[in-house]
Amino acid sequence: MKWIGLIAVVLTGALLLSAVGDFPDFGDPKSPANGGVGDFSVSQYYITHTEQDTKVPNVVTAVLADYRGYDTMFETTVIFIAGIGIIAILRSHPPGGRRGPAHPIDATVDGDHQRIIIGITCRIMIPIIQIFALYVVAHGHHSPGGGFQGGVMLGASFILIGLSRDLQAALARFSERRFIVLACLGVAIYAGFGLLCLLLERNFLDYGVLDGFFHTDPVMARSHGIFAVEVGVAFTVTAIMFAIYANLSSKGRLDEGL
Amino acid sequence: MSEQLPAILLVAPLFGALLIGVASPGDPRRAFPIVLLSLSISLAATVALLTKVVSSGPVDYFLGGWAEPLGIGIQLRVDGINALILVFIALIGLLTAIFSYRGPDDGEPTDKAPLFYILYLLLCVGLLGITITGDAFNVFVLVEIASLTSYGLVAMGSSPRGTLAAFNYIIMGTIGASFYLLGVGYLYMRTGALNMAQIHSLIALPEVAASQTILVAFLLILVGVWIKMAFFPLYGWLPNAYTYCPSGASGILAPLVTKVSVYVMIRVMLSVFGAGWVFQSAGWSQTVVWLAVIAILAGSFIALAQVELKKMLSYLIVAEVGYMVGGAWLANHWGMVGAIYHILADAAMTLCLFLAANIFVKHAGGGRIDRLEGLFRRMPVVAGAFVVGALSMIGVPPTGGFFSKWYLIRGGIEAGQWPFVAALILSSLVNAVLFFRIFEVAHFGRKPADGHHHHPPHADGEPSPEQQGTIGETTGSDRKPRLTAVAPLVAAAALVLLVGIFSGPIVEIIRGALQGMPHVGAAAPLIGR
Repeated sequence: MKWIGLIAVVLTGALLLSAVGDFPDFGDPKSPANGGVGDFSVSQYYITHTEQDTKVPNVVTAVLADYRGYDTMFETTVIFIAGIGIIAILRSHPPGGRRGPAHPIDATVDGDHQRIIIGITCRIMIPIIQIFALYVVAHGHHSPGGGFQGGVMLGASFILIGLSRDLQAALARFSERRFIVLACLGVAIYAGFGLLCLLLERNFLDYGVLDGFFHTDPVMARSHGIFAVEVGVAFTVTAIMFAIYANLSSKGRLDEGL
Repeated sequence: MSEQLPAILLVAPLFGALLIGVASPGDPRRAFPIVLLSLSISLAATVALLTKVVSSGPVDYFLGGWAEPLGIGIQLRVDGINALILVFIALIGLLTAIFSYRGPDDGEPTDKAPLFYILYLLLCVGLLGITITGDAFNVFVLVEIASLTSYGLVAMGSSPRGTLAAFNYIIMGTIGASFYLLGVGYLYMRTGALNMAQIHSLIALPEVAASQTILVAFLLILVGVWIKMAFFPLYGWLPNAYTYCPSGASGILAPLVTKVSVYVMIRVMLSVFGAGWVFQSAGWSQTVVWLAVIAILAGSFIALAQVELKKMLSYLIVAEVGYMVGGAWLANHWGMVGAIYHILADAAMTLCLFLAANIFVKHAGGGRIDRLEGLFRRMPVVAGAFVVGALSMIGVPPTGGFFSKWYLIRGGIEAGQWPFVAALILSSLVNAVLFFRIFEVAHFGRKPADGHHHHPPHADGEPSPEQQGTIGETTGSDRKPRLTAVAPLVAAAALVLLVGIFSGPIVEIIRGALQGMPHVGAAAPLIGR
């Protein structure tokens, strides 16, 4: 069996390498991906038109959330499915109901010191992490960032509560019901803004038509639309990050965690 | 509103899934109507879209309104081929959803039912999205959705074998999707485009067509979709995944997931690389048809060796995938028409057989074929539907299976691919043996003097491993199958017959779509006339 695997790997590697001689030079501005084939290039279009089409300075954000926003909506759905799938497989309700922590709190002097140091550090860090995460979500228009990155940081801040104290402390702030609803809400915000455009008799995700909704001109409405869907992405990613941690760390019982 | 149909048919099940998550985690009663409503909207939209495509040609839809210049946004494109498949996906999704209904007296834990339905609806979104899109990268995104939901659905069965099967499925499915993605990456490297029509027009340029990168991209995509469709010998993940998953899930996974992958292969061949490029050298076509012959024979003969009903049907899917790949690679008109028509016919008959098998397994106490004794008399309606599906698998007129074999054999004869023709006929014979064996056991029971069978494999009171493998079904129940299980099955059997009876109009739609393909020059024999 290992030999078959080895042969498959060698063959695939040879296949991949066989085309290397035909690749465009690294960083070549005239390569097909950068300059297109023939007289039209998608990349050139994005670079030259993003500003006038969407008023978004960050071309990557415009491609991600507007030109190819449909892909990103489904990428958000992929994250949603990952979380829901893990809950669907792992989640179990133990017959005995919720038990107290199996490891009693370490009340010795050493244990207490560690708990205090970690607890205070995290208590200081978590709000800073969360504010930075919100900044990353909001600033995706201008700098690297956006809903996925900001959402991961927000989710991590809740995981940090679970790690520094226990899962119950984190669940008290972000209960199971809440993270499932928030995950759905995130995708619903994204798809909902798309649907709003459809109800205003334009194509799905055509944010330009939302100018009345945002009280601005059609081009700026695209920029606002991108921000709105980024917020949706951040909701889903935050909720799913924590949902996956909570279910994996407690084997789906959501009781005491690590 | 009619120009918004392509979006509506995707958005309805997506919002249905989200609504279940918000409204009713923990209350399966509220989830079920949402599932039915959203899939009904989707079905209505696909039917409206089909009539529109038939009356006025292919429909293009540009998401976000980014139509000009072509390729900056994402394009959905519906022609006759995928319009038909969309209708089948929505219809099969709806029928299996009704089938999966669990009443209050079923006595099964239902607290995970809402999560099941969320994954189920999103699987429908994924399959519809793969089929409707006109963007090579977007196919990958929706393949991810369809795959992740499938893994979740397979693993949700309470059998430990199902969990292991889901794990194998994840590994193989991820490898397949990665191959596809690598292929799209190589394509982008050489063409700088992701829109299918745009890539197609660039590959028509001689310097691009001759490029080694394009060739490697094609091989990577081909291997990727072959893994996804369980083309022999890349089928290892399929039989256990389809045998041990929850019955509601097998009703949608078995008919649709492999078939949609076959569609992706055909779409990539026709609309991305173009038939002229794909069939430029006859050697390729010859090689793939031989692989298909091996797939058909291997799938049929392994099926013959199975003792479990659902596993036998799973191996038949492997053989049927061989039909479609072989037909598509015959490189002529009737082969391609037969392959596309067989996607529909096979989806209908696989649905019919799997729904019936799920009822049999539930009421026979285990999935072994020799335990089906006397079931035909106890459940005449279910038995009738099963016979219709089986006759279609064998290829008896007027079922859909007969007409797809007819077109495939016609294509095989015109192409001079006699081994393929022989494999099709041999596989029909094997199917006849397989199903008449089941008819015999289920209708007449075992002969008491039969030396091979006169001791039951497991003494009563001691559950067989197969029985344990199918927990999640209440085993050995003597109750009649409920109406919500029988009605979709009867509809599926009717669908098998309708696909056959209306094979003329369906084939005309497929031929019209093939003739409407752009850049037909080098591929005239494929397009017909």
